[in-house]
Amino acid sequence: MAEELEIEISPTGQVVVRTIGIKGTRCIDAAEFIAKIVGREESRVLTSEYHETEQHVDQHQSIHRRH
Amino acid sequence: MSTVMVIAPLVIANWSAISAAVVGAVGVLGYSTVNEGIVAGRRVRAANRAEIELDESEILEGSGGSGEEIVVEKDDVRAVFSRDARGALKVCVEGHGRSKAELKKIGEDLIGRVTQQYVYHRVVTELGNRNMAIIDEEVSEDRTVKIRVRNW
Repeated sequence: MAEELEIEISPTGQVVVRTIGIKGTRCIDAAEFIAKIVGREESRVLTSEYHETEQHVDQHQSIHRRH
Repeated sequence: MSTVMVIAPLVIANWSAISAAVVGAVGVLGYSTVNEGIVAGRRVRAANRAEIELDESEILEGSGGSGEEIVVEKDDVRAVFSRDARGALKVCVEGHGRSKAELKKIGEDLIGRVTQQYVYHRVVTELGNRNMAIIDEEVSEDRTVKIRVRNW
């Protein structure tokens, strides 16, 4: 899946950024990049893809510990 | 979808960037820029006037901001964009036969659109500087601008 950003600029200038197909903490980097350009972060919601990769890392770490 | 972030805009710019945003924004709303000399002598009653400041803004000093104004008009409404004493962007809206509440609403709409135009320009410029490709752009019915970017 292609990595994309969807940026909505409302008629008052408020911005909503959605990351698409960017997994793990890189999605936060992408959104924060836009926040630095525009102004001040008001809120953020992390959804499934962020946690997907985090779970993968956790599994990897637990396998590592067994050795 | 992996992150949704809401960002409040901060407008920090020199007067020329503000001017460009004003001219870009008001044209879409049917306003036209007026030669200040033509309207300088015309003032309306205080009751038909509303002032709106953009709190989260700063027009940088030394950029020709002090004393600068942009005057725009549409029908019986005149709006004057300027830098207030604190350095924030201000719009003063005047209109014959319009209530203060109505003029305030017009002013809020205008200053919102100027902010939107400023933010749009900032975002598109920065994306371009980083060679990020805009693959789609549309304006919805409520005038929200939607941009999709690839090569992140």
